Amino acid sequence: MSATENAVTTTKKWILSLDTWAVVAAFVAALLIRVGVFKHVPW
Amino acid sequence: MADVIAVPQVRPVQPALQFLRVIPGILLLAAVGYAGKLLEQNVGAYAKAHHWVFPNIEYVLWAILLGLLISNTVGVPEIFRSGVATYEFWLKAGIVLLGSRFLLGDILKLGGISLGLVAIEITGAIAFMTLLGRLFHLKPKLTTLLAVGSAVCGVSAIIATKGAIDADDEDSSFSIAAILALGALALFTFPLIGHVLHLSDRAYGLWAGLAVDNTAEATAAGALYSDAASKLAVLVKSTRNAMIGFVVLAYAIYWASQGQAKAVGNKAAFLWQKFPRFVLGFLFISVLATYHFFTKDQVGALANLSRWAFLLTFAGVGLRTNFREMRKQGLRPFAVGAIGEVVIAVFTLGLVVGAEKLFGF
Repeated sequence: MSATENAVTTTKKWILSLDTWAVVAAFVAALLIRVGVFKHVPW
Repeated sequence: MADVIAVPQVRPVQPALQFLRVIPGILLLAAVGYAGKLLEQNVGAYAKAHHWVFPNIEYVLWAILLGLLISNTVGVPEIFRSGVATYEFWLKAGIVLLGSRFLLGDILKLGGISLGLVAIEITGAIAFMTLLGRLFHLKPKLTTLLAVGSAVCGVSAIIATKGAIDADDEDSSFSIAAILALGALALFTFPLIGHVLHLSDRAYGLWAGLAVDNTAEATAAGALYSDAASKLAVLVKSTRNAMIGFVVLAYAIYWASQGQAKAVGNKAAFLWQKFPRFVLGFLFISVLATYHFFTKDQVGALANLSRWAFLLTFAGVGLRTNFREMRKQGLRPFAVGAIGEVVIAVFTLGLVVGAEKLFGF
């Protein structure tokens, strides 16, 4: 495998879909609320 | 002479740079959304203080209208565009967080009913759109894209299908423009029709989730009616979204059998690749909420966070809708989409009213 191909493969491994990022962000936010970092979110 | 192989230059985009590029657009989404919220609070109070008769317009509509106004007058400058495009991200994060307001039992009960209705809606919509495409002599792949867009879930379904059936860029642009234009119309017509017909929150939420194509527009159309309708619209729309893999797989197999698309290898991997992850995230958070992983106050905080995410989404719906651009895409696909949408809306309304009588929800 060439260096370029290696680089592309390595980069691709880390690309998550927008969907997955949204889920990760929501889980992190939920966890922060659960452990009490954010106690109240105003509306 | 040695062969010269053109290797495409891979320009790694620095994550920090990518993050900086979206900041102006996200700030614009937040500013437009927050302005909508302020308008909701202040316009009503001002009208009341001056004894004016003025309808109570919710922040959802204000945010969409402000976005539409900017997009269709001064336009959205280039610097804001990549950030405005993140509205899909906020939508999906908002849906996952909204899972905290659903108990698993409710999802199973309503999900069961909506799954049956979704199956009927998808089958009917695909059959009708295919027939309409033939009547209007649209290209077969354009008809496929319009059918998937109106039957399953708007833009995401069109993009997923385009790759799977090797459709032209032009066809997918046509279909996306038609679906977005009709989604924008649905935002204003659905709540009106719902109120005229005195639909209950549940019936309206089911209807919006079944008939409005794009997830953002379905969420907004639900929120424009009531909070309860919005919750149900999101649940039903998510059920439709979950079907995306199966519909795209069926079309991919069909077009491959016609020799006009690549054959599908591993079907399970194909389904998993197309399955919307946010639906799983939504279910996971609702399981946690059902088993009291969160306290009551924490569920309230998660619900408010979900509202903030939706606020950015609604601003994005307005900002990315440019009627001039849509008009450029031509009339025929729009006409097919419009006729199809009206028929699907009437058909699904009949389904919902029938189901309401049958199951008494």
